Amino acid sequence: MTATEPDAVRAIEAEAVSSRFARGWHCLGLAEKYRDGKPHTVNAFGQKLVVFTGADGETNVLDGYCRHMGGDLSQGTVKGNEIACPFHDWRWGGDGRCKKIPYSRRVPLRARTAAWPTMVQDGLLFVWNDPEGNKPPDEVTIPVIEGATRDDWTDWRWTETTVHTNAREVIDNVVDMAHFFYIHKSFPTYFKNVFEGHVATQIMRGRSRDDAREQRDGGGGGGPRMLGNSSVASYHGPSFMIDELTYHYEGYDLRSVLINCHYPIDQDSFSLHSGIIVQHSDALPPEAAEATARKLSDFILTGFEQDIEIWRNKTRIDNPLLCEEDGPVYQLRRWYRQFFVDVADVAPEMTDRFEFEIDTTRPVESWQREVEENLARREAQGASA
Amino acid sequence: MTVRQDDRLLDGPLLPVRCRRCDAEVLVRKASWEQTSIQWNAAARAACTGLSGDPHATCPALRSAIQEAALTGAIAVME
Ligand code: FES
Ligand SMILES: [Fe+2]
Repeated sequence: MTATEPDAVRAIEAEAVSSRFARGWHCLGLAEKYRDGKPHTVNAFGQKLVVFTGADGETNVLDGYCRHMGGDLSQGTVKGNEIACPFHDWRWGGDGRCKKIPYSRRVPLRARTAAWPTMVQDGLLFVWNDPEGNKPPDEVTIPVIEGATRDDWTDWRWTETTVHTNAREVIDNVVDMAHFFYIHKSFPTYFKNVFEGHVATQIMRGRSRDDAREQRDGGGGGGPRMLGNSSVASYHGPSFMIDELTYHYEGYDLRSVLINCHYPIDQDSFSLHSGIIVQHSDALPPEAAEATARKLSDFILTGFEQDIEIWRNKTRIDNPLLCEEDGPVYQLRRWYRQFFVDVADVAPEMTDRFEFEIDTTRPVESWQREVEENLARREAQGASA
Repeated sequence: MTVRQDDRLLDGPLLPVRCRRCDAEVLVRKASWEQTSIQWNAAARAACTGLSGDPHATCPALRSAIQEAALTGAIAVME
C-alpha cells in the first residue's frame, strides 16, 4: 500500500483486457432476420459463428469453420435441417454433429463441432456463451417482455451498430448519472442502483431540458410538451438490458420498453443493439405509436452515437477517481466480474445485494443553472440577430 | 484481474447498522443525508421481510434504522 499523498499525481491504471468472454445469454437481434433460409455469419466471442434456421424452424448456432478442411459454413447452404459446407458438402446439424457426407459411405467418428445453446423469446434470438461449456442453468433467465407480443404495443424497432472498444464501457453507463446530462442532454433528478444476483439495475427519473429544443417541443412538430421520464433499467446477465421507460407528457404518459444489449465481437469491439416498443393508448393510437417508436429509436441511436464518440477518444481506466455524486462504478464492476470467472469462483461479494442512492441536490442545482444560462444566451443571440 | 476498492471508502468506511424489525445487519455509508450505500450479505438478505414488494426499493424498516443511526451518530454523515 502506498500512502495517498494529496499532491501526488494520480496515475491512470489499466490492465490488459481479459481474453475471456462473459458467461451468459447474449442477444443476436431479431429472430426473424435468421429465418430467411440462409446461413448468417456472426462474429462473436472472438470467433466466427454460423447462424442458420433449418426446415424444422429451429435456429442453430455453430462454430463457423467446418471440421473437415476448414470451410466457412456461413458461406454454405441450408439443406433440410442442416448446414451444408460450401467446400465439400458435409452436412452439420444444429447439435454440432455431422449428419451426412453425401460422397462417403459413413461419417467419421469425432465428427462433432461446437454448438451454442439458443433461445427465441419475444421475437429475439439469444445465444448462451459459457467458457466452461456448461448448459444454461434454469435460474439464469431473461425475463419475458410482456409488451413484445401484445397487440396494443408496436413491433420492435431494432438497430445494430459495431463499436470499437471493450464492452465494459457500455456497462459502466449503468452507474454513470452525470454523463446523461453532459453527453445525452437529459436531466436526471433521481438516481439509484441495486445490484443483486445476476441483475444490475438503474432507477432514474429526469425532467426534460428546456435548452434542448426537441424535448421542449415534445419531439418537434408542436406536439404536447414533455415533462420528464421515469426509467427502471436492468441488465439481466452481462449483456442484455431491459429498460421500462415512461415518458411523461402534459396530460398523459407514454410507456415504452427499451432494449440496450450487445455481444462481444472480440476483446476490442462489440455489436451494440437497441430495440424499442411503445404502447398504444387513447392519446397514442397505433399509427402515432409507430411514429413515436420510430422517433424514439432515432433518439436512442443518437444517444449511442454520443457514447461512441466519447469511447472512440477516451482511455480505458481501472481506477476511476470518483466524487460523492458519482455512482458505484467499483461495485458495478465487482458485480460484472461474476460473468468472467468460473461458476465455482463466483464470490458472494459479486452477487450480494448492494444499493446505492445518489444525493442529487447539488447536481440538480448546478444543472438547472446551466440550463438557464443556455436559455439566456440563446435569447440574447436571438435578440441580436 | 486485480480487485480494486472504491477510494471513497478511505474517506468514510461502511459501518454496521441493524434493522430493528428483522435483526438483519447490513453495512452502510452516508456521504450526505440524501446519499446512502447499503451492502447486504446473504444472512441479512434472508432475514429481511421488507423487500417482497418492489425489489428495487430500500426496505422501509431498514431505512428508518439507518436514519436513526445517522441521527444518533452511530454512523457518520460525511457532509
Ligand atoms: S471443408 Fe467443409 S466439407 Fe470439406
Ligand atoms: Fe451513455
